Amino acid sequence: MLRMATRVATGLILLIAVAVFVFPLYYLVVTSLKTKAELFAAVPTLFPHAPTLAPYFSVLVTRAMSGLLMNSVIAGLSATALALVVAFAICYPITRLPVSRGLRTFVLNWALSLRFLTPIAVVIPYFTIVRAIGLYNQLPALIFVYALFNLPLAIWMLKGFLEEIPLEIEEAALVDGATRFHAFRTVLLPLSGTGLLAAGIIVFAFDWAEFLYAFILTATPKAMTFPVGVQGLVTQFEIIWNDMAAGGVIAIVLPVTLMLFARRYVMTGLTFGVIREK
Amino acid sequence: MSLAARARTNWSARSRQERLGLRLLLPVFGTVLVIATIPFILAVIRATTADDGRFIGIDNFTKALGNTQLYESVKQTGVYAALVLPTEILLGLALALLVHRTVKSVALRAVIYVAAMIPIVIPQIAIGVVFRLVYAPDYGILNALLGDTGHNQILWLSSPPLAMLSVASVDIWQWTPFVYLIMFAGLQTVPVESIEAAQLDGATSWTQFRHIELHYLRPLLLLVIFFRIADVLRVFDHVYVLTGGGPGTTTEFLSLYLYRVAFRFSDLGQASALAVVVMAAMTAFYTLISRFLPAEKG
Amino acid sequence: MGSWKRATVLLLGAVLSACSNTPGASGGGGSNVTLTIAAVQGVEDTGLKALAPMYTQKTGVKIDIVEAPYPDLYTKLVNTFKSNDSTYDLVMMDDPWMPKFGTDGSLSDLGKLGIQKDSDIADVVWDVGTWPPPRGPVPPSEKDKDKQLLGVTIVGNVEMFMYRKDLTDPPASYDDVLANAKAQNKSDLAGYLIRGKATNPVVADFLPILWSFGGDVFDDSWKVVFDNDKSLAAVKFLVDDLKAVAQADPASSDAADRDRLMAIGQGYQSSTWPGEINTAVLGEGTTVKGKVGFIPIPKGPSGKGVGMMGNWMLGVPVASKNQQAAADFIKWMLEKDTQKTYAQNGGIPSRTSILKDASLTDANPYFPVLADALTAPPNWRPRTDQWNAVETIMGNHLNAALAGQETAQEVVDKASAEIRTLMTGAGYPSQ
Repeated sequence: MLRMATRVATGLILLIAVAVFVFPLYYLVVTSLKTKAELFAAVPTLFPHAPTLAPYFSVLVTRAMSGLLMNSVIAGLSATALALVVAFAICYPITRLPVSRGLRTFVLNWALSLRFLTPIAVVIPYFTIVRAIGLYNQLPALIFVYALFNLPLAIWMLKGFLEEIPLEIEEAALVDGATRFHAFRTVLLPLSGTGLLAAGIIVFAFDWAEFLYAFILTATPKAMTFPVGVQGLVTQFEIIWNDMAAGGVIAIVLPVTLMLFARRYVMTGLTFGVIREK
Repeated sequence: MSLAARARTNWSARSRQERLGLRLLLPVFGTVLVIATIPFILAVIRATTADDGRFIGIDNFTKALGNTQLYESVKQTGVYAALVLPTEILLGLALALLVHRTVKSVALRAVIYVAAMIPIVIPQIAIGVVFRLVYAPDYGILNALLGDTGHNQILWLSSPPLAMLSVASVDIWQWTPFVYLIMFAGLQTVPVESIEAAQLDGATSWTQFRHIELHYLRPLLLLVIFFRIADVLRVFDHVYVLTGGGPGTTTEFLSLYLYRVAFRFSDLGQASALAVVVMAAMTAFYTLISRFLPAEKG
Repeated sequence: MGSWKRATVLLLGAVLSACSNTPGASGGGGSNVTLTIAAVQGVEDTGLKALAPMYTQKTGVKIDIVEAPYPDLYTKLVNTFKSNDSTYDLVMMDDPWMPKFGTDGSLSDLGKLGIQKDSDIADVVWDVGTWPPPRGPVPPSEKDKDKQLLGVTIVGNVEMFMYRKDLTDPPASYDDVLANAKAQNKSDLAGYLIRGKATNPVVADFLPILWSFGGDVFDDSWKVVFDNDKSLAAVKFLVDDLKAVAQADPASSDAADRDRLMAIGQGYQSSTWPGEINTAVLGEGTTVKGKVGFIPIPKGPSGKGVGMMGNWMLGVPVASKNQQAAADFIKWMLEKDTQKTYAQNGGIPSRTSILKDASLTDANPYFPVLADALTAPPNWRPRTDQWNAVETIMGNHLNAALAGQETAQEVVDKASAEIRTLMTGAGYPSQ
């Protein structure tokens, strides 16, 4: 009896939680399908009266934001790759070689403290640097910055994964006469594939969403990313919520699709390696 | 055998291996360290010089620290953090426990898992748009659902206490699933035997949680708290889109205040001084709380 | 170890070469000139965007328009100028921004590039684009500079007043405005629509009121007068009287919000920029076509109604590599025929003859009013490089008052104190 009540209560709570979380997204999609006239309605509607895909066309074609999408993809992928490479280069010695404990703690601590860095605080120095080395309004500037900002996350996630892989496996290869690099390439790398993919997806998601630096360090669509473009739809005099909503939906589609395809890896990634794919 | 134990047993092999480790680690880590520290140095330089390049010592610092807006901003950031952090952590943990204990269907768990992943990957700009569409008066959906129209609408974004709550709710909406996912996965690692043994001994749900599950969750929990604290203290994007710091300066958190000084007032000297102060404060804060960080696995 | 390095270098190389293949990164080659224009996102650059392809057809010069929303454009321009970047060949600037760019020496003298004053365009247009300003207080650091033409108006915006002419006669003074507002105010019709969002929006809405009441921010010697009696009366009028008959949430209403309410018949009157009229107030979705009247700003207790100008100007950054080509484009935009085409494509011309052209009045009922407003002349915002900061201070306090956090007295006291600190810190005469 109590069991039944508990189950009903639980079900109710979960239902409410899901509704609360899903509703804003639902409304975003709905708004992206409305016509401009409908946006003027005195009372907003929960369902578009005359659904249209015009906002999507407007965003991608008329406003030419597909170029910005491309930039976001390139910057995101490159930054992720760079962050993973650097993170691996740092995590490998820490987890698989007898580096002193003090150094290890220092590196890990420093990596975590980097996350506390307020991005806006360093945006001016970075702007000066980027300007000085001639990378203003170029994608590489964003790539390096994104890689740096997501390094803490990448390091801690990879560390968790690499720690789960027993040292013995490499030892066995070494004993058999392989060089350390060979052992790394043929034994460790394949095993850490899951970890790399997991960390990579999450880092990519964060890169994809970044706004402030993309805004400050770029000036033209050559290097601007999609979030900057969406923000650019906020005008003083016009309500173009439908276009903005379409932009928002587009911005969500790519990372969510990625997440869905690789959900098992995300699961492992988010737990810093504690849970491994069974 | 742990790394440390292995190290003690063979001196010469240790040296060789350790040297290799250092040769790999130091260049890469060193470069990253330098790249990350240069901006700090540049900020110090900019903060101690006037617009025309003269050295003016701590003038900008006095100006920055003498501005009462700074403290107002810090206070508001504190309020925000106090609202958001406990709610996210406790709610995420509670939901994780709830699902872990009562939902047994694998399919349902998987569905919840996937749904929870979505808010994390949504760009902040999109989040800002979504919630403006929810909270705005006149064309926002929330007031419409509540049946509030005309002059007596609830002003979610303009009434000071509500504005803070609205902005906080967005953060909670986006990150509670994150906490949930991590906690839920952590709960999977708790050995089933311990739970069964405890239940046989007549332990209540609460005791079970406190003495067994929490023990296994602790490292993850602390890590999550760390990351969330860091993120909450530097929040910018969705607040910028939702309220722009308003009404007045109610939601002008630290990042937004820095943005205002740097880009609205164009006072780069003061902005740099602020940046240096903020970075130093964060470092000190981090050092303080890092004592609680879980020691790594031996 | 070597393999490590090799792998990393290879990866970075791949990344970098991928980047150099991104669209546009290879740069425009050949003899064709491309002009990049930094423009404001929204109705103000509609005409510009329509005209650009015509120019390209005529001269072969390609035009690239990069848009940004109002506050972001300002930040973008400040950053670009500070770093002497040559990305932009032409920049759209709101007239209150120009003093800062002029003071910093970031813009080229258009007179030297061949742009001459034309009497068919109201004097105030040439005056507002001249630095140092030919009238009014001049910032102390600029007193000895020669006057140069640094910007030419391409959007001849002067703030006007709109009201529902099907409901009442035009208000002649702000007393009428208030009386009408109180009389018309209903649950689904706001007596006055306040544009109260923080910083620029609320200040733009408020300055005409401030001036019509005889108040001001500065006097002729840069002394802050925002806390004198007349200014206080104006602030009280906004945050007490008008707020009582305003829409539900003035503190978060920007122009788009008040236009929407006006367009669906839920607002009785408000101030307005010409740019808002055809796209927002009378555009798609409107229910009040033919019912809205446009008049100059009503008179205040000072006896005068003072309109405010908000011209969008085109200027040429000194860092641009296409100085003459950019100036030629501006010259073309000012020509009479171009101005007519511009007006027909949603632009707001500055030539008096075009504004009074009868063939355009049907589609743009406010043009004749605008022509008169420009010749009045309207007032402009204080010409100081600190204006953005001043506007931020005033805007935040006015917004706080509209949100119920401050009283009118607190607004003028706090804002004045902060502005004084700001100005003395920036080298202006002590207050």
